[in-house]
Amino acid sequence: MSRKSKIEEHITIGLIGNPNVGKSTLFNTLTGSHQHVGNWPGKTVEKKEGYFIHKNHKIRVVDLPGAYGLAAYTEEEAVTREFILGEQPDVIIQIIDAENLERNLYLTIQLLELGAPLILALNMATLAAKHGIHIDENKLSELLGVSVVKIEAPNKEKSNNLLDSIFNQAHHLWGKCNIKLTYGPEVNTEVDKIREFLQKNEYNFHPCNINWLALRLLEEDERFLKDLSGKKYFKELNNIIRTGRKRLSNIYNQDIATILTEVRYNFIRGIGKESITKRAEKSVSSSDKIDKFLTHKFLGPLIFFVLMLIMFQATFALAAPLVNLINDFFGWLGNIITSQFEAWAMAPWITSLLNNGLIGGVGAILSFLPNIFILFLFIGIMEDTGYLSRVAYVMDRLMHRIGLHGKAFIPLILGFGCNIPAIMATRTLRSKKDRILTILINPLMSCSGRLPIYVLFASAFFTAYQGWIIFSLYLLGVILAIILGFIFKKLFFGRLSEPFVIELPPYRFPILKGLLIHVWEKVWLFIKRAGTIILVFSLVIWFFASLPLGVEYASADSIIGKIGSSIAPIFGPLGFGQWEPTVALIFGTAAKEVVVGTLGTLYGVAEGTLGTILKAHFTSLSALAFMVFSLIYIPCVATIAIIKKETNSWKWTSFVVGYSVVLAWLVSFFVYQGGKLIGFQ
Amino acid sequence: MFGRRLLKKRSLISKKLLADFPSGTKVKIVGLYGGPWLRQRLHELGLFEGAEIIIVKNDRLGPVILKVFNSKIAVGRKQARRIYVQKI
Repeated sequence: MSRKSKIEEHITIGLIGNPNVGKSTLFNTLTGSHQHVGNWPGKTVEKKEGYFIHKNHKIRVVDLPGAYGLAAYTEEEAVTREFILGEQPDVIIQIIDAENLERNLYLTIQLLELGAPLILALNMATLAAKHGIHIDENKLSELLGVSVVKIEAPNKEKSNNLLDSIFNQAHHLWGKCNIKLTYGPEVNTEVDKIREFLQKNEYNFHPCNINWLALRLLEEDERFLKDLSGKKYFKELNNIIRTGRKRLSNIYNQDIATILTEVRYNFIRGIGKESITKRAEKSVSSSDKIDKFLTHKFLGPLIFFVLMLIMFQATFALAAPLVNLINDFFGWLGNIITSQFEAWAMAPWITSLLNNGLIGGVGAILSFLPNIFILFLFIGIMEDTGYLSRVAYVMDRLMHRIGLHGKAFIPLILGFGCNIPAIMATRTLRSKKDRILTILINPLMSCSGRLPIYVLFASAFFTAYQGWIIFSLYLLGVILAIILGFIFKKLFFGRLSEPFVIELPPYRFPILKGLLIHVWEKVWLFIKRAGTIILVFSLVIWFFASLPLGVEYASADSIIGKIGSSIAPIFGPLGFGQWEPTVALIFGTAAKEVVVGTLGTLYGVAEGTLGTILKAHFTSLSALAFMVFSLIYIPCVATIAIIKKETNSWKWTSFVVGYSVVLAWLVSFFVYQGGKLIGFQ
Repeated sequence: MFGRRLLKKRSLISKKLLADFPSGTKVKIVGLYGGPWLRQRLHELGLFEGAEIIIVKNDRLGPVILKVFNSKIAVGRKQARRIYVQKI
């Protein structure tokens, strides 16, 4: 008895499916894990894992990136394919969008041919029924020879059938290659030839897999051909494949991929006829109505521009009362500490450590939490509703002209939140050149770490139109990214080859819970950074600003004052050649928010808010130049690390660091000196 | 490439570029041209020789939006010039 109640061995299941069918939603429902769900192709670029317990079994769930097929067109699809082939999970669940069964079945067929341990989960069937599409899941199951279970991904109860199916079939699914699809005697002859050759040469493969492998080789599968190219029999094998292809194309007067695809879709059409009943289609869906405006050739870009403007204004205006509240709190805390510690006769350095070091540094950062929350909320809504892929469509025209892909715009927008996930999102681009180019310009997108700098300076120096100033800084980043993208393309990449093909998913209301979880994750990361890296840096700065002993805190004679003073002249022509901003910029390479924290620590905020103190050290013009410099110069350490990881090249990584410093200096110089020429202060 | 040779043979039958049709036209694909990777991706999305699709939006500039099965696919202008179709 006791043995039974123990949790038994693992079952590993993989969730697979086209993009936007509800994989990640089901993953969240099953595991309760906080995994974000997006509504644009390519949200899950890495596989995610979670666990849940069902009937005393620990079930490991792997959420795979969306895939249209197993050809591994992009790097994220390769993740999916390698998981199935390499890890051999116990069950593969393909989630199918009931509204688009036929297209989804193309992947199903490939999975069946591969002999994957497949169960189909038919999602959103209720919605499909509302739109007049009814699917007979029993018929479908009979035709395909696999279990088909209806689910509603966000609802655990309605997905319970699936769990029972998984549980019952977990160990009986591999090697059941019972697909009823044949490509005709001519194709079969060629597949047999390749298969027999592979078997003769002892290629270690499952009997069902080997048929699939032979078929894929005939279809010109680059990855498999590359895998086998090292074998000593490869030349002979390649000959068999090539002759086969040639013979077939002579018979059918078509190339092999076309022949096979037509057969597959004919098979799918047959299945569709027997299992789907469609009522007369509604003439225009609500998604189509919205698209009339959002993808309009003039309105589309205009709406996008206005939405961005609203986003930045809201980031500012909606957050303002909360920001003031947090500022007041830290001001109050500072006063309490000062008066209490004096009453307790504490050493003054402790008061200074707490006030200048901690509250000045960490407190200055935390007051920007509301801004960051709102910014991520907006980005999250754009992702989840499906608007982001429309932006890719709308922007492709412009991007195309500068030689970039419309899809490359999605990572750029995500960069407004944080450059790290944005750079990872470039994995949805297939061509290496396009990816590197998009990565190179991504740091120019103002991330949320830079927002505190803008908010601080804009509210101090440009009170009346701070929202506009911030918006124009973001815009400057975008414009620079576009110009540099164009130059880099000309210099390093020549003609880019990536074709533009993107699905525009139907608009959906974001699931509030999922959205908030996602935003909270990002905000939490920000808080965590404030508590770790920014805390440490604040203390380090406070320490060096207090040494050597006896020196006045944060004066030019302190160690940090001397370091800053020696570098500061470089920034003289930019209008902020004092040592404090210099030090702030140096430490800002750890994380851009640290710039604000450092200024807070160095100027000490106990006597008033940082904004008022800054007015004594900056003019409006030098403040602007400082913001511009902060926007462009060196990406933060974490971004540099991810650039190295994704480009896999120190050369490109150091190039980003190099060009950003030079560009930052030049643009700030232009802003400051140009402004002075026109007569600004 | 076989694709290229075949394309020439087949172009004897009257056919036109996808990019040349206005919004709202229902067409049948008669030829897909492009590298193996692009064709693979188009196949996976339901764009293959013989597929019947609707051109949802063609602005004569920028990508073309197509209705393929029950989904909307945006295809770049360059790619739309490599897909041959017949009006149906």
